[in-house]
Amino acid sequence: MTSTATADPREEPGRAGPQRPRPARAPGRLRRTRFRDPAAALLLLLPALVIFTLFKFIPMGRAVQMSLFEVRPYLGDRWVGMDNYRHVLTDPDFLDAMWHTAVIAVTQTAGAMLLGLAIALLLEGTARHLWLVRTAVFLPTIVTMAVVAEVWRVLYYPAPDGVVNSVLAWIGLGPSQFLNSADTSLSSVIAVGIWRHAPYDMMIILAGLAGVDRTLYEAASADGANTWQRLRHVTLPALRPVFIILLTLAAIRGMRVFTEIFLLTNGGPNGSTEVLMTLIYKLGLERNELGIAAAGSVVLLAVTVVLTLAVQAVRARRRA
Amino acid sequence: MFHRKQGWRGLPKLVALLAITAVGLAACGSGADEPEQDPDAALEVWIRKPPGAPTEETAKELAAAFTEQTGIPTEVTALFDDFETKLQQAASAKDLPDIVINDTAQLGTLVEQGLVREVDRDGIEGADDLTPASWDAATGADGAYYAVPFSAQSFALFIRSDWREAVGAEVPTTWGEMDALAEAFTTGDPDGNGEDDTHGYAVPGSTKRGYTSWYLSSFLWSGGGGFLDGEPGAFNPAVDSPESVEVLEWFQHTFCDGLVAPGAVTAETSQTHPVFYGGQAGIYFTGPYMMGVFDADLGAEKYEIVPLPAGEGGEAVSLAEGENVYLMAGSENQEGQERFAEFAASVEGQTIGMAGDTDGTIVRLPVNATVDMAEVRTDERWQTFQQIYQESGRYVPNVPEWTPFRQMAAETFNTVASDCEADPAAELGGLADEFAEELEGQGAAG
Amino acid sequence: MMRQGKGRFDSALGFSELTGPIGWAVRGAVYALLLVVFAGPLMAVVVGAFSRVPDPTRLSLVPDQFTLDNFTRAFERDVLLYLLNSFIVVGGGLLLQVTVSVLAAYALARKKFPGVHLVLLLILSTMMLPEEILAIPLSLVLADVPVIHVNLIGTLVGMIVPVAAWGFSILVMTEFMKEIPVELEQAARIDGAGELRVLAQIILPLSRPALGVIGIFGFTMIWDQYMLPLLVARDASQFTLPLALRTLRSDDQVGLGVLLAASLLALLPSVLAFLAMQRQFMKGLTSGAVKG
Repeated sequence: MTSTATADPREEPGRAGPQRPRPARAPGRLRRTRFRDPAAALLLLLPALVIFTLFKFIPMGRAVQMSLFEVRPYLGDRWVGMDNYRHVLTDPDFLDAMWHTAVIAVTQTAGAMLLGLAIALLLEGTARHLWLVRTAVFLPTIVTMAVVAEVWRVLYYPAPDGVVNSVLAWIGLGPSQFLNSADTSLSSVIAVGIWRHAPYDMMIILAGLAGVDRTLYEAASADGANTWQRLRHVTLPALRPVFIILLTLAAIRGMRVFTEIFLLTNGGPNGSTEVLMTLIYKLGLERNELGIAAAGSVVLLAVTVVLTLAVQAVRARRRA
Repeated sequence: MFHRKQGWRGLPKLVALLAITAVGLAACGSGADEPEQDPDAALEVWIRKPPGAPTEETAKELAAAFTEQTGIPTEVTALFDDFETKLQQAASAKDLPDIVINDTAQLGTLVEQGLVREVDRDGIEGADDLTPASWDAATGADGAYYAVPFSAQSFALFIRSDWREAVGAEVPTTWGEMDALAEAFTTGDPDGNGEDDTHGYAVPGSTKRGYTSWYLSSFLWSGGGGFLDGEPGAFNPAVDSPESVEVLEWFQHTFCDGLVAPGAVTAETSQTHPVFYGGQAGIYFTGPYMMGVFDADLGAEKYEIVPLPAGEGGEAVSLAEGENVYLMAGSENQEGQERFAEFAASVEGQTIGMAGDTDGTIVRLPVNATVDMAEVRTDERWQTFQQIYQESGRYVPNVPEWTPFRQMAAETFNTVASDCEADPAAELGGLADEFAEELEGQGAAG
Repeated sequence: MMRQGKGRFDSALGFSELTGPIGWAVRGAVYALLLVVFAGPLMAVVVGAFSRVPDPTRLSLVPDQFTLDNFTRAFERDVLLYLLNSFIVVGGGLLLQVTVSVLAAYALARKKFPGVHLVLLLILSTMMLPEEILAIPLSLVLADVPVIHVNLIGTLVGMIVPVAAWGFSILVMTEFMKEIPVELEQAARIDGAGELRVLAQIILPLSRPALGVIGIFGFTMIWDQYMLPLLVARDASQFTLPLALRTLRSDDQVGLGVLLAASLLALLPSVLAFLAMQRQFMKGLTSGAVKG
C-alpha cells in the first residue's frame, strides 16, 4: 500500500534531480519489458485515445478555432481575432464570476470531501444494514439535477414555514431567504453542492478504505494505538492517493460548475451566484454567439489548466 | 499526473497538440450557396413545443392538412428545451429545417446569423388579411420582412376571485387598487385557513431567458416608461426616464413590502404557476395558455382574468408577442416554404392551429383578421385577450437583436427586486448606459 | 488475515462494530440522521409523484390526495419509450466504458512508456471543458465522423460510442491499480501468463472496489447524459429520460407531480444498479486482505 515499498512503476530513468531508489526488480524482466511495454501500452490505450480524439480533442480544437471568429454558418465566419476574448475578459461581471467560481470550487470541494470522509468512516463495514444506509445516502448523487433543483427550491422556500427554515427555527436561527437573497444565495448553492457531492466522495473513499491493509490496523493496535492514532497514522496516509484523485477531479468539477446554478438561480439574485459558466452562457450561448462562448470556455480551460498545474507544482515542491 | 513534479513537463506538448488540431480543422468551409430547387421536396417543419404534448398533435394536423392540399410532404418535429441549441446544431451542419415556427423575439438573431431568408410579402397570398401589428413583428430592423406571422398573444392579470370576494374588494382599475388588493391578500387571510401564508403577487423574477424583464415590460409601459425611444435605426435609451424609475420603485416596493410570494427572484415561469394555483399568491400577470392548467388545478370559478390597469401617467399596455413562420435558409423547396407559410396564416390554417378550446392550441390569437375567433372558440376569456392585444398590445422595440437588451434589463430589474437598498434611479442609469453601448454596437443608435 | 481480525478491524473507525445498548443507540441515531439529511428530501419525490397537487412550498411525507394520475400523464408523454432508450444507451455505454477504462488504466498504471505524463494530462484535459461549450463542434463530428465518415445523428450508437471513454473512470482505475503490489503480477509472469491473463486473473480481482466505483459512476454518468443525447437525437423518439425530464420541467401544461412521477421512474433503475454494484464492494472488502 505505502508508496515507498512499491515505487512508482512509471518512474523514468535518467531524470534530472535527486535519484530516487529504483524498484527492486529482476534484471531479466527489465530488459525484456523495455521494448515490449510501449507497444503493449499503445495497444491498451488505443481505444481510449481514439474515442477522446474524435469526441473531445477534435471538438476542443474546433472550439479554440471558433473563439477567433464571429461564427455565422450561413454567411461565412468572420475573423475577429482577440475580440471575443476582449468581450469576455472586459465584462464587468467577469471578475465577480471568477471569484464566485473559485469560492464554490474550494468550499464545495473541501466540504464534500470532509463530509464524505466522515460518512465513509461511519458507514464502512460489511453488515447488511450498512448496505441500506449507504444506498440511501448515495441517493442525491444518482438523482438527476433537474429534480434535485426542484426539491431544494421547495426545501429552501424562504418563508418562515419553509422546511429548512422550520429546522433552523428549532435551533433558534433563521428565517433565511436562502437562494433569494444576495447575502445567502452563494452559501445556499454551495450547501446543495456539498449535499450532492459528499456521497460521491464517500463512495470513492469507501473503496479506498476497502483497500487498506488490515494487518496495519492490527499492528497499530498491538502497538497500543488508540482509534484516533490509528486513523491519523494508518488510515489517512493510506487514503492519500484517493484524496489526490478527489481533489483534482473536484477542482475541475468545481471550475466548470454550471447546471446546479443554472437551474437554482441562473446567477441571481443580483448576480450573487454568477459563475464563469453562467456568464459564458449569457454572453455567448443565450445569444447564439458561439465565438464568444468558445472564447469564454478557452479562458475557463486555461484557468483550470493553470490551477491544476499549480497544485501539482506546489505538491511537488512540498515533497521535494 | 498525481505524482511529483511532472505537471509542468506536459504543458507545452499539450498546447502544441491542441494548436495542431485547431489548425488542422481551420479549413472549414464558409459562404452559402443556393441549393437546387425541387418543388416536390418534403418540408421539414420544426416547432418549439414540448414533444408528446397536445400542441405537437395540432402542429401535425396542420402539416397534414397542408400536405393534403398541396401534395408537398411534410415532417414535423417538436422540440422544446434547447430548441435554440438544436437549431444552432442544424445551422452548423448546414442542414436547417425548411420551416421553423418560433417566437417573434427570435427574429433578430435569426436574421443576424443569416439563418432565415427574406420574405416577399407581395408573393404571399392573403398577406393583406394579416394584421399590420403582426407583420411588424415579422419585420427586421432594416424594414424587410423575414417571416410570415402565425400567432399572437397578449397578457392579463389572473386574480383569485374567491379571495377577492373574501376580502371584500372590487376588481382593480388602478395600480393603487391593485396594490391595495395585493396588501389585502397578504394580510387578510383570504383563504381563511387562519395562517399567514398568502401573498399578493406571483412573479417569475429569474434572469433566465430574461424572465424578469419579459414580465415587467407590460408594467413598465403601462406606467408610462419604456426601454427605448425613437425609430428603428435611431433608438435612444428610455429606461432611465422618470416614469421608468417610478415603475421600478413600485416594483421594488412590492418585493420589499412583502407583497410578492417568496422565492420570486429566482423563480422561472414553470415554478411560478404553482404559486398561483397552489394558493400562495392571488394576482398573477400571465398569458392565455395558462387557462387550461389553472382550470384543472384550481378551478375556472376561482379566478378571473382582467386587463392590467394603466399606471400613473400611462395608458394600459400589454406586452404583445407571438410566433412566426420562418422560412429557413438553404431550403431546396423555397416555393413549398412559401406555400406552407401561406397555408399556416390562412383561415383554414389558423383555425386548425387554434384547436378550439383545447390545450393543443398553437395559434393563441389569430393573426388573420378575417378569422372570427368566436366561431372557433366558445370560451369567452379568449376574447379578453384578443381585445387586450388589439387595443393595447405592444411588441418589443425593433432593434436588430433584442435578446441582449432583454438580458441586461432582466439583470438590473432582478437587482432592484432582490436588493431593497438598491436605488432604482441609479441602477436604471447604469442600464441606460449599457443600452446605449449595445445600440451603438448593433448600429441602431439615434 | 481479515478473519484473524474477527471483525475487529472490519473498518477504520470501528463505528459500525459498536455493540451494547448505548452503541446501538448511537449508531441508530447517526444512521437516522444520515437518512433524514440525504434521503429525506428525496422522499418528497416519491410522495409528490403520488399526490394530486404537490404543495410548492412544503414537503409532505403523506400523499396529499393520493392519485396515480401523474404516472398516467407521464406515460402519455411516452416516458416508457424514453426509459427504454436510456436502458439501451446505459447498457451498451457502460460495458464499453468499463472495458476501455480497465485497458487504459492497466497501461497507465503498469506499463513504462515515454509520454505517460502527457497522456495523463490529456485525459485530465478531456474533463476540463463543459459539454455545453463543446456541443456544436461535437455535433459536427457526430454528423460526419472523421476518417470513417459515418453519420451517427439519429442513432443510439451515437449516444453510446462517445461515452465509451471517460477520463474519470480511467484515472480512478489507474490510481487503484497502481496500489496493487507488482510482486503478484511478477509471480504470474514468471509462470508464463500473457498480458491479458495477468490483467484478468490478477489485476481485475484485486480491483473490485475500484470496478464498483467506476461501475456506479459510469452508470450515473451515462444515465444522466444530457447534451450528447440532445445532439444525437433527431426527434423526440430518440430521447433519453433526462431530456424528457427537462422538457417536462419547463412545460407550462405539466405540473410538478408529473415531473416527480417521471423522476421516480428514472430513479429506480439507478438504485437497483447501485445495489448491484455494491456487491463488488463487498467482494473487494474481503479480498483487500490479500494485499501487502
